[in-house]
Amino acid sequence: MQEIVAIVRANMVGPTKLALTKAGCPSFSCAKCLGRGKKGMDNATLRMVMENGELPRTPTGESLTEVGRLIPKRLFNICVPDDKADAVIRAIIEANSTAHPGDGKIFVMSVEESYVVRTGERVDA
Amino acid sequence: MQMIRTIIRPEKTTEVLSELMSAGFPAVTKLDVVGRGKQKGIMVGDVQYDEIPKQMLMLVVNDEDKDDAIRVILHVARTGENGHYGDGRIFVSSVSEAWTISTGKAGL
Repeated sequence: MQEIVAIVRANMVGPTKLALTKAGCPSFSCAKCLGRGKKGMDNATLRMVMENGELPRTPTGESLTEVGRLIPKRLFNICVPDDKADAVIRAIIEANSTAHPGDGKIFVMSVEESYVVRTGERVDA
Repeated sequence: MQMIRTIIRPEKTTEVLSELMSAGFPAVTKLDVVGRGKQKGIMVGDVQYDEIPKQMLMLVVNDEDKDDAIRVILHVARTGENGHYGDGRIFVSSVSEAWTISTGKAGL
């Protein structure tokens, strides 16, 4: 069994849920979180915006936030059988990709054991 | 890669985050959590508080950077000289894959 930890944009919970359902793994848990990535401030875009005086679109605006500022995100925890992990990762990437920095990250970890609370039964794979 | 999850005092979060930034760990996720530790919460008079507000920081680092990150967190999040109960915990688990959504590429 694999645990997939995905950090996505706050407004992408709906599309992600839909993608998970389509990939055949509808179960997940989701939490509000704040986070920052490894990118610094993009000076070229900043200069462009200052010269044009236009309000940037959201992805651009996000790349202009000061370094170290935490941005609201949503954290998905999804546990899937080993053979479905790749399909689910692909589905999340496809649903969330806008090709801008800040789309998020996916981490994959292996889960040793899992149990169903209702029946007490152990689920492998 | 290693995932470091650390549960720290909320008032220490800002300091830990800025120290992590200057130590070269910009990428962090922060969650509000409540929990209790080995001391079973806090006893104030007759009342036991066992859902103590904490903050969880989650970061994924390369294997060779793990010890650096842990050292920074331990150094900053500890209160006083020798530390106190409630300063928090650090958990490390191994991550097999990492994907960047915007590029669709594997790796940190």
